[in-house]
Amino acid sequence: MTPDRPRVQVLSLLASGVVLAVAPWVLGGGQYVFRITTVMLTYATYAVAFNLIFGHTKQLFLCVGALAGSSAYLSVVLVRDLGWPPLLTVGLGILFAAVLGGFLSYVAVRRGLGVIFVGIVTLAVSLMFQNLLLGLRRYTNGETGIVTQGLGIGLGRYPVASYYAFLGLLLLALVVYARLMASPAGLAFRALSGDELAAELAGVDVTRYKVLAATVGSGLMGLTGALFADYNGFINPSIFSLAHVDIVVLIVLILGGMRTLMGPVVGAGAFTVIDHLVRPFGQVTVLVYGAFLIILFLAFRDGLVPALRRAARLPVP
Amino acid sequence: MIPILLDGVVQGLQLALLAVGITMIYGLGGILHLAHGQVAVIAGMTAALLMGAGLRPLLASALGVLTAGLFSVAMDLTLLQPAYRYRGEERLLLGLVLTLGLAFLVDGFLTFRYPEVALTLRLRTPSVVVAGVTVRTASIAVSALALAAFAALAAFLVGTWLGRAVRSLMQNEVGAALCGIDADRTRTFIVGLSGLLAGLAGVAQGLFSSLGPEMGTELTILALIVAVVGGVRSLTGTFTAGLLLGVVNTFASYLVGTYITLIFLLWVALVAILVRPQGLLAYWT
Repeated sequence: MTPDRPRVQVLSLLASGVVLAVAPWVLGGGQYVFRITTVMLTYATYAVAFNLIFGHTKQLFLCVGALAGSSAYLSVVLVRDLGWPPLLTVGLGILFAAVLGGFLSYVAVRRGLGVIFVGIVTLAVSLMFQNLLLGLRRYTNGETGIVTQGLGIGLGRYPVASYYAFLGLLLLALVVYARLMASPAGLAFRALSGDELAAELAGVDVTRYKVLAATVGSGLMGLTGALFADYNGFINPSIFSLAHVDIVVLIVLILGGMRTLMGPVVGAGAFTVIDHLVRPFGQVTVLVYGAFLIILFLAFRDGLVPALRRAARLPVP
Repeated sequence: MIPILLDGVVQGLQLALLAVGITMIYGLGGILHLAHGQVAVIAGMTAALLMGAGLRPLLASALGVLTAGLFSVAMDLTLLQPAYRYRGEERLLLGLVLTLGLAFLVDGFLTFRYPEVALTLRLRTPSVVVAGVTVRTASIAVSALALAAFAALAAFLVGTWLGRAVRSLMQNEVGAALCGIDADRTRTFIVGLSGLLAGLAGVAQGLFSSLGPEMGTELTILALIVAVVGGVRSLTGTFTAGLLLGVVNTFASYLVGTYITLIFLLWVALVAILVRPQGLLAYWT
C-alpha cells in the first residue's frame, strides 16, 4: 500500500476525524481544553494552506498572519461600521486574502523572484500590515484591538460547537488538498517542487499553477482568520503577528512533514503538546519558537510523517 | 530644518554601518542575515550590563562590541556553516529560516531575562555650536565612529590580500576556490567583522538615544531595507542608501509619524526589489 492511494487517504482522514472528535473529551473536556484544541485546529488548517504554497510550489509566504488578519479585520470592521451581514463580510475577507495572495504570487513569478526575494517581499507585506493596523487607529483601535462579540456569526458563545466547526473546516481543507493533489494540478505541483525549470520544459504552466496554489491557500487562510476572529471574541495586531502565526505555522508544517497530507495535523498536535509543556516556565514562548525553528531545520527537516512511514512502516499519507 | 537633516545623516550613517554587514554576508554566501539587528542589541545590552557592574562606559562599550563579534563568529560556525554545505535555493532558504529562528531566540531571551535593562551613554558636553548651529556631541561622535569604520573597511577591502579574497569570493565562489581561497574561513572572518560593525551601530544607538532589548527586529528591518535598496551585493550602494534612507526616515517621522514612515520605507524596498533586484543604487560598483 502506498501513501497516496485514495483508499489510504480516506481511511486516514476518517481516523484523524474520529480521533480529533473525541480528543477534547478524553483530555477532560473543560473550557480550557476546548480552547487549546480549537487553537490547535486553526494552526493545522493554516499549515494545510501553507503546505500548498510553500511545500508544493516553493513560495516562502512569510505573510500567513497578514493574510489571515486582513480577512479577519475586514470582516469585523465592515459589520461594525457599515452593518453588513457577517456571512457577506467573511466572504469578502476570504476574497480579499485570496486576491492578495494570488497577486503577490503573480508578481513574484513574473519578476522571476527567487525564494529569498519572495521571503523579503512577503515579510515586508507582513510588516506593512502590522503598521497599517497600528496607524489606522480610527478603524482598528490600534494595539487595543476590537471586541468582536456580536459582530460575527457568534461562534464565541459556543465553545464545543466551535470546536466541531473548526474540525469541519480542517477536514474540508484536507479534502480540498487531497482532491487538488489528485487532479492534474497536483501532478503539476509535484513536478514544480522537484525542478521548476524541468517542469516548465515539460509543458507545465508554472505561473498558472503557482498562482493557483497561492490563491487557494491564501483564501483558506482568510477563511480561518475570519472564523478565528469570531471565535476568539477579540482581535488585535499581535494575534496576527509574525511571532504568533507565521513562525508557528512554519514549525507545525516542518515538524509534521512538508508535502504530506497528514503532516499539518500531526505537526499541530505535537506542537500543541510541546507548547503546553513549556508554558509553566513563563514568558519564554518566543525564545522556544526560535530554538525550535533552528533545531527543526538543522536536524529534523523530514518531519514526523515521513519518520513514521520509515519507523513503523505505516503508509501514512 | 537643519537639525533634522543632521539627525538624518547621523542615523543614516548608523544604518549603513548595520546594513553593510547584511550586504557582505549575503554577497559572500547568499545568506540573508535576519538576526543582524539582534547582534547590535547584544552589543548594547552587554555594554549596559557591564556598566551596571561598575565598568567605565568606554571599556564596557568596547567589550560589548567584542561580544557581538564573538557571537557572530559562533553563529557562523554553528548555524551558517551547515547551510553553506547546500547549494542554490536550498542554501538561501536554510540561511533565511535559521537566522530568523536565531532572531526570535535572541529577542525572546533578552526581553524575558533583561526586560528593564537599556543602554544610554551620556557624553560630558551635551552639545557644541558649529557655524551657528547647535550640534549634539553624540551626533559628532557617532558620525566620526561610523566614518572611521567605513574608511577602515574600504582600506581593508582594497588594500589587503584578505580584502581582495573577500571581493573575489563575492564575485565568484567557484573561481575564488580555484585560486586557493578558503571560502569557509573567509566567511567566518567576514561574519565576525560584520558582527563588530553591528556592535558599533548598537553602541551608537545608545549614544544617540537609548537601546532596549526589544529593538532588535526594528534595527534588522531598517538595515534590511537599506541593504535591499542599496543592492544586496554592493557596498557603496549600501552606504549611499543608508544616508538617503536615514534622512528620509527622520524627515518623514517628523512630518507624518513613525507608522506611516515605516510603511513608506517598506514600499521603497518593495519597489526596489520589483524594479531592480540588484539594487536601485548599485550603479557605482
